[in-house]
Amino acid sequence: MESINGIMIAIVLFGIGIFALIIRRDLVIKLLALGLIDSSSVLFLVSLNAEGDGIAPILYGPLAANYVDPLPQALVISAIVINFSLLALALVFVMLLVERYHTTDSVRIAHEVEKERQS
Amino acid sequence: MKHTAIVIFAILLVSGFCMLLFLTSGYHGARGSADNPYLAAGAAETGAVNLVTGIYLNYRLYDSLFELLVFSIAVLGVRFYLNADESQKPSVVRIAESPVVRIAADLLFGPIVMIGLYLIVFGHLSPGGGFSGGAVGGTGLLLCAAALGAEVVARRFHEQIIEQIEWGILLVILLFAIVPVLFGYTPLSDLLPPGRLGTLLSGGTIPIYNVLIGIKVFIGTWVVIYSFIHHRGEI
Amino acid sequence: MIIVLLPLGHFLLGVLSLLWQRGARRLFPFALLADASLIGTLWVRVAGGTSASIVLGGWGRDLGIELSADRIGLAFSTLALILAIAVTAYLWKERLRPYFYVLLHFLLASVFALVFARDLFNIYVIIELLTLVSFLLVGYERKAQQIWASLNYLILAALGMAMYLFGVGIIYYHTGTLNLTLLAERIIGMHDQMWLITASTLLVVGVSIKAGVFVFSLWLPAAHASASPAVSALLSGLVIKMGVVVLLRLSTVLDISLPLIVMGGLTGVVGAVYAMFTYELKRLLAFSTLSQIGYLLIGIGIGTPLAIAGSISYAVAHGLFKGLLFLAAGQVVHTTGSAFIPQQVARREKIPRATRIALLVGTLAIAGLPPLAGFCAKGLLSAATHSLAIHLLLVFVSLGTVISFSKLVPLLDPWRGGSDEGAKTISYGILALSIIAFLPLSFLFDGRIQVLSSLSLLHAGESIAIIAAGLLAHHVLRRHYTRLPQRIFRLEEAILTILSMFFVTFLLLAFF
Repeated sequence: MESINGIMIAIVLFGIGIFALIIRRDLVIKLLALGLIDSSSVLFLVSLNAEGDGIAPILYGPLAANYVDPLPQALVISAIVINFSLLALALVFVMLLVERYHTTDSVRIAHEVEKERQS
Repeated sequence: MKHTAIVIFAILLVSGFCMLLFLTSGYHGARGSADNPYLAAGAAETGAVNLVTGIYLNYRLYDSLFELLVFSIAVLGVRFYLNADESQKPSVVRIAESPVVRIAADLLFGPIVMIGLYLIVFGHLSPGGGFSGGAVGGTGLLLCAAALGAEVVARRFHEQIIEQIEWGILLVILLFAIVPVLFGYTPLSDLLPPGRLGTLLSGGTIPIYNVLIGIKVFIGTWVVIYSFIHHRGEI
Repeated sequence: MIIVLLPLGHFLLGVLSLLWQRGARRLFPFALLADASLIGTLWVRVAGGTSASIVLGGWGRDLGIELSADRIGLAFSTLALILAIAVTAYLWKERLRPYFYVLLHFLLASVFALVFARDLFNIYVIIELLTLVSFLLVGYERKAQQIWASLNYLILAALGMAMYLFGVGIIYYHTGTLNLTLLAERIIGMHDQMWLITASTLLVVGVSIKAGVFVFSLWLPAAHASASPAVSALLSGLVIKMGVVVLLRLSTVLDISLPLIVMGGLTGVVGAVYAMFTYELKRLLAFSTLSQIGYLLIGIGIGTPLAIAGSISYAVAHGLFKGLLFLAAGQVVHTTGSAFIPQQVARREKIPRATRIALLVGTLAIAGLPPLAGFCAKGLLSAATHSLAIHLLLVFVSLGTVISFSKLVPLLDPWRGGSDEGAKTISYGILALSIIAFLPLSFLFDGRIQVLSSLSLLHAGESIAIIAAGLLAHHVLRRHYTRLPQRIFRLEEAILTILSMFFVTFLLLAFF
């Protein structure tokens, strides 16, 4: 086991994010946890292919230097934008629900929705 | 009682999941860059010194198109849901009370947008690119809204015209990508030659894409932020 | 080249519809016409033997993104086309904002893009796009129930895709490629390496959340039942199949057949049981979708060409008749004013005749009556299973389906009822026609699989026996129905079950 590296941090963050998603009842905190989960998967992707002393893949010099793998970084750009868009829309829906039911508690909202469905 | 059971269960499952991932990923140091096909010929083929931009705007342009679509649909959705009930919201907009915020925002707004533009235009030469530059510019505009008031800024950017511009830019990007197909090039290939490495005009069509994407993300970020401000009625 | 025109063309048309909003509704049928010609051309090319595969930009496979059209992709494109035509006809007279048509364009674009995709990260981007568009379509009418259902859907889908991204990272780290073809080459000797097992589990779990596998897709009943009928038809008929397509592509590269069979069996049985005990029409259809997905997964898990052909034809057939059922159910709910079956039966004079006939055709198809579409596909699947246990499983699921749909028998009287709107009748007609014509048409699309030789009188007899037994069982059990607990669909418990099934999948892959 080496020193603490990005991979360990990413996995721990993912765990914290899922844990918060399960335990906390507040809808906004669930969205924060989702954001944390997204960030952790991005971090995992980047740090899995990065070296400790690598430099950014901007090729000014000759090819001998140890460049970091550029592909995961390109993937990560797309992933960040997509996750941002999903989170923005989720926030909009949470706002609509909160205005409707005047609470951010997910358990109570589920209960109210179920009651409306039965009637 | 039941809640405690859920908590214990969650702790067990989540920590087990994390341990499993950690132990079985098979991480044994970083991969070398010796056999990376992008590093070998990337600069020469794409003409972009910043290889990451070269990848996502040349080799994997298809992914970036769909990612732009996700972004645009998100902006569309936010606007559809938040601005639909226009009649109910009296827009009480308060300018930030503290003079420190106002003056600081006035001073900072200009440089921030300039930095955003730099990131966009030089995206193929140094870290940056359309997405990050556009986000920086959009957030700078938020700072301006904090300084002057959201309604003032919104009056400058007419909503209908902004919407047309935003989707018009997406149309131009798409045409850029599709029209070469009709002239016999393979889909999404480069139109312009790579050019001399390291100069501003290198990179083929990459700078053009960067600028278009940058403007689009700039407008999109502003629209999302303004929809939230307008819906709540204050800043 | 045509392959890339399908998704990007719809993308372009969607943007155009947004800029020119008055013409959006009239533009749509022309778009579908253009699609039909493109898909037809591709079919001719693929059936003629030449492969239609292209790497965008002209780069090699290890550099660019590959798209490739094969029979499977084209079968689903045809399904998408037929469903889109039917939904357009169904919604022709309603006052929909142009925004809705824009979303439909983007939905079709993402479906076409996904069926031709051969690159792991491309699949990720398109699945997220599909999630986003269906999320917006479900919440279109802005009812609180829809918003809550789609929020749950979004959170679970985002979690699943984060796991998928972890899996992609591990695979890229060890093999250096994201392309499925290259990946298959590079993992030839490595099938019991730990990282491959973990990565496969992550990928499968991530996609299963979207694919309608039982344990992972507890959002499905709520979302499909609360959406408006046309949207439900598209979701159940089309979007769910996309997850199954991705699982199919993954199963050709990774070795995940055992978890697929187990999960498929679980999904089929539990979905059927829940469908038996539900008295709300649209929920019944949603649960039945869950159980049919079980069929598909078992077929994919078995993996022989005959089984895969059976799965794909069943997926297409299911899309057709589930679409028909959802559209008809929408009319039923609308005219009788209630979502629950007992009240609908009480007010059944109000249901128009075309809707009744549509319900009849759909129910017969899903029950597996020969020679309609359902029988054709189920027969292929039965022919492909050689183990008795799996065969009994399939029989049980069919039985459950028939029992659940026997509840609708009082509604199916085709000789009464007034007339329906012209547009809706056309949409029913299109789908019903394709269901009836499925068997003859499948001879055209036949590859090396001999459809006729696999289906035999034995299968026909089996199907009829199952239908009769199901009707009888329903009649006998009718008095004993109780409400099953539906409490398990809370978000937290859904996530916990996902995590537990993750471990189960991992153990299945590691030790078998």
